[in-house]
Amino acid sequence: MKESVYDVFARKDRGDALQHIGYIDAPDAELARVYAWNTYNEQNWFEMCIVPRAQIIAVNRTDGPFARKEAVS
Amino acid sequence: MPPFTDDELKAKVHDGYIVESVEEMTEGYRKSLVVQLTVQADTELMSAPAYWMAARHAPSTNTQVSAHAIIQDELAHANIAYRLLEDLGVSKERLVYGREPHEFKHPYGFDQPLDNWAELVVANGFFDRAGITLLSDVYNNTSYGPLKRALVKVDMEETFHLRHGEVWMRRLAKAGGDARAMLQRAVDWMFPMTLEWFGLPDDMKRHSGQLDYKLKGLTNDQLRQVWMQSTVPLCESLDLDVPAHWNEETQSFDLDYPFPCEYDAEDKIWDFAGGEITWDQVFTRWKARGPMNERYVESVRRSRGQVQNWLDSSKAA
Ligand SMILES: [Fe+2]
Ligand SMILES: [Fe+2]
Repeated sequence: MKESVYDVFARKDRGDALQHIGYIDAPDAELARVYAWNTYNEQNWFEMCIVPRAQIIAVNRTDGPFARKEAVS
Repeated sequence: MPPFTDDELKAKVHDGYIVESVEEMTEGYRKSLVVQLTVQADTELMSAPAYWMAARHAPSTNTQVSAHAIIQDELAHANIAYRLLEDLGVSKERLVYGREPHEFKHPYGFDQPLDNWAELVVANGFFDRAGITLLSDVYNNTSYGPLKRALVKVDMEETFHLRHGEVWMRRLAKAGGDARAMLQRAVDWMFPMTLEWFGLPDDMKRHSGQLDYKLKGLTNDQLRQVWMQSTVPLCESLDLDVPAHWNEETQSFDLDYPFPCEYDAEDKIWDFAGGEITWDQVFTRWKARGPMNERYVESVRRSRGQVQNWLDSSKAA
């Protein structure tokens, strides 16, 4: 199954900062929403959203997962 | 090329430097981290089928729900750890689907059948406590930033698994009779099983890369003691017998049985009378894997090929 990476962001309560809490692999955005909600269910999040990693643009770093567009292998 | 030599990186992490990407790692650091994460991921994954088959013994729908919530957590923990491995250049696909069952790196304790409700709740009380002991040490000490952040969720949920185990152990102990007898039987094989899980004693342990790279903080013997600091008092408060006691003089726990010793997986009995064996003999037993190894591995991956075939054939049509 071809999957890509989605980064998961959430905030616990109103007024909290949106935080990067993890990431999941999914074949499409719809399943990614479901996987994210079920995988990161340790809190009753006020808000959660996901971003396809390929859409994240690194600004100041040239290393790390956000700068690397494909997984190393 | 990594920006540091191996010795520079070792010195830096002991100074508080946090590694954030694979590009910053030396080959030695990366390899140690891959070994650590593989054990962690495999342990989380294999706890799921072990708990799942045991959840059939839940005494009510409410307890069934709690048992399954724990299994869901374990699968999420496994997924998170495999995903971290993927960032290090290791294929999650190959790890989960491409290995023989005996190649998984989870502890021997998760190759054993959990045959009744008492065994499942003692697994939560003992094995999940071991998980917390190991992972809290990693959380407090690891030099790898992404792992530390991922463990926030994991530690939170492991604490819930442990509470489930302890609450139910207390209930069964208080009930007396058969409930207490089943509980004691589970404790009898699972207590030594967990102690063995922490691995080679420090005086035999060859040099540890995981300590040098600050991927953990405590040694095997220290972790064994931390586990007993919570587990022995718990069992004593419930009047359950465990083969260990507090030594005032050394301010640590002593074991009351030959360690390590042989285990009869069929009857779930430790051969205390047979005396101490060598760690090589223990490694031989671990490598041969326990009775449920193949069934557990197959149960987490049996439907994959089938669903892939449906998807492929609908695409072809
Ligand atoms: Fe877990
Ligand atoms: Fe757990």
